[in-house]
Amino acid sequence: MIITKKRDLEELKENIKNYNSFFLIGCSECATLCGTGGEPELQAMKETLEAEGKKVTGSFVAKTGCQVLGTKVELKPFKDALAGTDCILVMSCGAGTQTAVELFQDTAVYPTNDSLFLGNMTRMQMFDQRCSLCGKCVLDKTGGICPVTACPKGLLNGPCGGTNEGKCEVSPDMECAWVRIYNRMKRIDQLEEMKKIAEPKDWSAGNTPMNLNAREKKGGG
Amino acid sequence: MNFKEALNSGKFAVTAEVGPPKGTDIKEMLHDAEALKGKLDAVNVTDNQSAVMRINSLSICKILLDMGHEPILQMTCRDRNRIGLQSDLLGASVLGIRNVLCMTGDHPNAGDHKEAKSVYDIESVQLLRVVDSLNNGKDMMGNDMKGATDFFQGAVVTPEADPVEPQLMKFEKKVAAGANFFQTQAIYDIGKFKEFMTYAKKFPVKILAGLVLLKSAGMANYMNKFVPGIKVPGDLIDELKAAGKGNALDTGINIAARHIRQLKEEEICDGVHIMAIGAEDKVPLIMERAGLL
Repeated sequence: MIITKKRDLEELKENIKNYNSFFLIGCSECATLCGTGGEPELQAMKETLEAEGKKVTGSFVAKTGCQVLGTKVELKPFKDALAGTDCILVMSCGAGTQTAVELFQDTAVYPTNDSLFLGNMTRMQMFDQRCSLCGKCVLDKTGGICPVTACPKGLLNGPCGGTNEGKCEVSPDMECAWVRIYNRMKRIDQLEEMKKIAEPKDWSAGNTPMNLNAREKKGGG
Repeated sequence: MNFKEALNSGKFAVTAEVGPPKGTDIKEMLHDAEALKGKLDAVNVTDNQSAVMRINSLSICKILLDMGHEPILQMTCRDRNRIGLQSDLLGASVLGIRNVLCMTGDHPNAGDHKEAKSVYDIESVQLLRVVDSLNNGKDMMGNDMKGATDFFQGAVVTPEADPVEPQLMKFEKKVAAGANFFQTQAIYDIGKFKEFMTYAKKFPVKILAGLVLLKSAGMANYMNKFVPGIKVPGDLIDELKAAGKGNALDTGINIAARHIRQLKEEEICDGVHIMAIGAEDKVPLIMERAGLL
């Protein structure tokens, strides 16, 4: 899921100082699990804004805020509230914010969160980054542990000289990604694979902006 | 005799390093470099060592070359992408620099620009291959170049990495990628280093043992605690302690000299790389006491 955290409130206040009426959009997916854009957070934001003397015309939690058309349909019942709104606050990720920008082209839209990474939830509201969405997966060669993400240098050919009792030189709280990969490859009897030199990575596979049309072409085209 | 010829002749090679300063005042660095002239087989010039921003390695290599030194250009992959690295390698070549040490580079987190965007487009093993490709007249994408480079390329290895197995796998990759010589991370336990050399001698590469000059017991303890891959044995720390504050540096010089003497006399490796870290002026003294001058 997309991991978000709340932006600095003072920065947000500065963003919205010239607006008076707000509509809040959360998201039932990632932002709810992150505690940044579910019902309780929307309610808290409403109270914060009202304490600042602002008006909240309405709020709703989108089912999936990054789905543009779905969110558009879900917003239909809020037409009146939105008509009297001069600023929309999106309490999900950067994708959710830009759904709102597309749907409300004449209204100011601000994010209340910073979008951090694609994360795995390890425990309630605890997240790890394991995939960087680099565009060309290397997990088939690394025992399923991603060095592009887990190694701060993104090394593809083994550990640097900074391995320290299996920890990373960047932080002793972090396991060395390549020691993890080595141990994993050993366990699954694939150390031979690890001995092969990895070619320079094609970073262009991750060039932004990306788009994808995954629709099956009709007629076998 | 250049560095490559020295190593290939079977001579016990000695290298040291010069760290470019932060800022444009290079007087002190030049003074240290002058004192090393004619004594070394090559001198490494560090590349923004510890991710602390300084004068680039290439410029100082050229200055040292003009002084009559044989420079080794240290190149890390932290600050330049594959275009920048190759471009700088071609530049180094036309400036007459012949030796390059390929490294991944310390993370910006270690340095004085922690907010920097690190590059690591490629890394040490791949950089060695890039150099090999440039030596063969093609860039890394296989495009023909007008004129090839003629680099003697090397790499680094940490014999006391913990765990060592993945480090040795990488060492073998570096050999396969074209490394001709290795300068090791600092080693202090000669017995352990001998074990590493028994393994490393199976490969057609030259190994220079890295020696970091111990300046005090405190420094040794600090390195044991904070520098990955460096292990100063307790008896050396005791020796530094026993020497007392005023004599610790002199004792450190003796330890380095003693180790060099043993490495050379027992023909354990192909040479030494002396890292004096801020005490470059002591390198000639170490060499003298080791019987190298």
